[in-house]
Amino acid sequence: MTTITATDTVLEAHGITKRFGGLVALNDVTLDVPKNTIVGLVGPNGAGKSTLFGCLSGLLRPEEGSVHFNGEDITGLKPQKRAQLGMARTFQQPELFLGLTVREHIVLAHRVRYERRRLWSDMIGAKSLSKPSASEVDAIDGIIELLEIQAIAETPVAALPLGSTRLVEVARALATNPDIVLLDEPLSGLDLRESEQLAMAFTRVVKESAKGLSLLLVEHDVATVLALSSKIFVLEFGQLIASGTPDEIRNSEAVRSAYLGDEDPTPKGGN
Amino acid sequence: MLQYIIAGLVLGGIYAIASSGLVITYEASGILNFAFGSMAFAIARLYYFLHIQHGWGIPASAIFSLFVASPLLGVVLYYALFQHLRLSSPLVKVVATLGLSVAIPAAATWAFGNVAILKAPGLAPEPVRVFRFLDTPVTMDQLIVYICVLLTVVIGFVVLRFTEVGLKVRAMVDSPAMTSLSGTNPARVSVGVWAVSSIFIGLAGILAAPIIGLDAGYFTLLMAAAFASVVAARLRSLPIAVLTALAMGIATALIQYFLPISSPWTAKVIAAVPFAFIAVFLIYNLILRRDLSDSQRVGSALDSAIMPNGQGTMSSTESALLDAQMGFWARYSGPIIIGIIAGILPLVLGGSWRGLLVQAFAYSIIFLSFTLVTGEGGMIWLCMITFAGIGGLWTAQLSTTYHWPVLLAILGGGLITLPIGLLIGFLTIRLGGLYVALITLTFALLGEQLYFTMPRFSPGGLPLSVHRPSWASGDIAFAYVCLIVFFLLALFVVNLRRSTTGMAMDAVRTSEPAARMIGINVVTMKVIITGLAATTAAIGGGFLVTAQTTATPQQFAALLGVVWLAVLVSIGIRSAIAALVAGISFTVLPQIFASYMPTSWSQIPIILFGLGAIGVAKFPDGTVEQNGESFRRLLLKVAMKRQGKNVEALEASALGGAK
Repeated sequence: MTTITATDTVLEAHGITKRFGGLVALNDVTLDVPKNTIVGLVGPNGAGKSTLFGCLSGLLRPEEGSVHFNGEDITGLKPQKRAQLGMARTFQQPELFLGLTVREHIVLAHRVRYERRRLWSDMIGAKSLSKPSASEVDAIDGIIELLEIQAIAETPVAALPLGSTRLVEVARALATNPDIVLLDEPLSGLDLRESEQLAMAFTRVVKESAKGLSLLLVEHDVATVLALSSKIFVLEFGQLIASGTPDEIRNSEAVRSAYLGDEDPTPKGGN
Repeated sequence: MLQYIIAGLVLGGIYAIASSGLVITYEASGILNFAFGSMAFAIARLYYFLHIQHGWGIPASAIFSLFVASPLLGVVLYYALFQHLRLSSPLVKVVATLGLSVAIPAAATWAFGNVAILKAPGLAPEPVRVFRFLDTPVTMDQLIVYICVLLTVVIGFVVLRFTEVGLKVRAMVDSPAMTSLSGTNPARVSVGVWAVSSIFIGLAGILAAPIIGLDAGYFTLLMAAAFASVVAARLRSLPIAVLTALAMGIATALIQYFLPISSPWTAKVIAAVPFAFIAVFLIYNLILRRDLSDSQRVGSALDSAIMPNGQGTMSSTESALLDAQMGFWARYSGPIIIGIIAGILPLVLGGSWRGLLVQAFAYSIIFLSFTLVTGEGGMIWLCMITFAGIGGLWTAQLSTTYHWPVLLAILGGGLITLPIGLLIGFLTIRLGGLYVALITLTFALLGEQLYFTMPRFSPGGLPLSVHRPSWASGDIAFAYVCLIVFFLLALFVVNLRRSTTGMAMDAVRTSEPAARMIGINVVTMKVIITGLAATTAAIGGGFLVTAQTTATPQQFAALLGVVWLAVLVSIGIRSAIAALVAGISFTVLPQIFASYMPTSWSQIPIILFGLGAIGVAKFPDGTVEQNGESFRRLLLKVAMKRQGKNVEALEASALGGAK
């Protein structure tokens, strides 16, 4: 397990309630993500995890509650504004830009963050013909090396298998130099080796982050979440039923009966 | 007034039958059939062919048209096209059915003859009997429409809700894959739905013909009205579609009652009724419900899982892999060769062919606007012809009435159009692709009916004249002016695509949520592209009228814009050089048929353009891209052979790296 001392909170949600017609998808959910940590969010299917991600990232608007990012109330902000502040996310079904290569995904995200003007000025100038700056190349290559995706860097993403697309999403998120990345089931569909590689990458990026990157991880693989996270929140039917350290969650009766069943999903002391 | 309401219910009833067919096929197949107006025209034309031209009786003509030809048309189209479209992108669906809408009327005219039809018969025998209801005359034709509407709604409801067939249809709407696993053949259910809905469409056509006239163009009114009902029904609710259709019919009749028939405004207000209904429902949905998206996935998770990778997208993985491996010459040699040929053509062609070529280059500029808005922006805009018309007609106005130099007038026309494009872009930004297509088509129809009919654009019914610049008054000189402008704009498009802007456009086009989550402002990107596209179309329109030296509103009719899109899509919507090929094909091909083929073959080019657009169901990138890929593969093979490698190994290594 990653043992990182929390110094401050990067993301806080208070009393989030989201309804779809008569269905209450989230009911008064509160959570917080300390800086430079991996926090897990688990729950059975239909618990409201992806809906909560939608509310946190701004793709969905909650009926009640507030979201704070680095102490600033961002409840009313649009997703792109949250991204500009330093929030990134991946998607349960990978959302890729199908006409771009892996490197172009990272380049685009990097330029949106650091050379935003180029989003419109490039079309009338010839800057796209010149070589990218050394700092940009270094930053992009650094992310590619970190996630060990050199072999597919120049490949169009439309040709990639699922495991690689999840890595591309993570790389694109990291290229925005975020304070937090919301990871929506990043390990689903991956085989054991790919899962282990990606989990190790998550630990590495948090550990090596100079600015105190945090990850909020939604995952069905409870064992992995317990192993990776320093803090875990458990949702059921849109309500928060438990939160705490992996050991606290492992020993929680509410969680056992509601989600984990009677069987402990991880070996004792297993990381 | 009752008489008007009764007449309005007749019109509304026909709209209702048409919109019922649209909603049912959309529900069952996820395809909004843009060709239904054309199909309705074709069946009505067949009915006329049998009944009037060949003397068949009304029952025989009606039974053959409605219960043999209509379902047969539906079945043939299902197997030829619709079955391949279910999991395609909205763009491919819209373009393919638009291609059909272009090909079918031309095919019908070719098959049944190009004759002037002054009066189309209904289903009632002549002379039409008149009954009295509450002291108001009701004709047999009107009575037949009421009965048909009633039967359509009641039978449709009963069959869908209470029969096994209806259960299977509803199951297939939810998930063809799961329906298949439960022992029902979804293809058989689908073909049945298309056959039945084609009967509705044929019925609407035969009933509408006596009222709106038997001309493919007149069926646009039927189309616009039915689309308004479908938008109101949020594409799915049959009762709301029927009620809205009836309300529109009554509203149209009441306008005729309250406004003087002699006023030119009456016709304009009537034409605006569908647009007004669409506007009301848009405002209602956007303000109160905050949602008007058609992005709901077709079928269940299982259906999505078995969807072939990449199907429905406008990009080819194989082509992208090849592009990634090739150098400048291998990638751009094809476009450069085509450009050089286009540059030589004005010198080698003579007479009227050279004059056509000037127009072809002007059309190519207009077609670039589709490359921008649909190819780059991923938005299905069916009103580019309206922007071209505004640009063209204002070019004529500014140069003739206000004596501006013509090139400045063309620029002025572009600048006048820019805010309109930005406004339409801004208003439709939050809508799903199908709604954008529907609304921009309605806007184009409205522009044609309300704006282009202003006396200033056709004083005394005469065309406005436009004079070419004195230094480029000849065909050769002006051809090169158009070609240079085309190449400058094409270079702009190419630069845009490979720039950060182009990458951001790709992001917005292929995944809006992910684009937002890296900080891209989707609205800004879309508004930029719509403004650019509208201005390009207007500039192209300005060059077109200058090439022709006259400007008439008729050359910018909304449905012609559908043909333009069909031509470009069949050649390549994402390729700048395809716009040049499309411009030349659109202008020169009909003239080749007119010059060297029998007169009866004059519809063949239109049919070919339509069939080409249908071809996007199989080749989403168009023929230029498809053939370009083969050409690039050939060049790459030659280059690799010299190095002792082969293309397959190269691709395998690229994919191997990916895996």
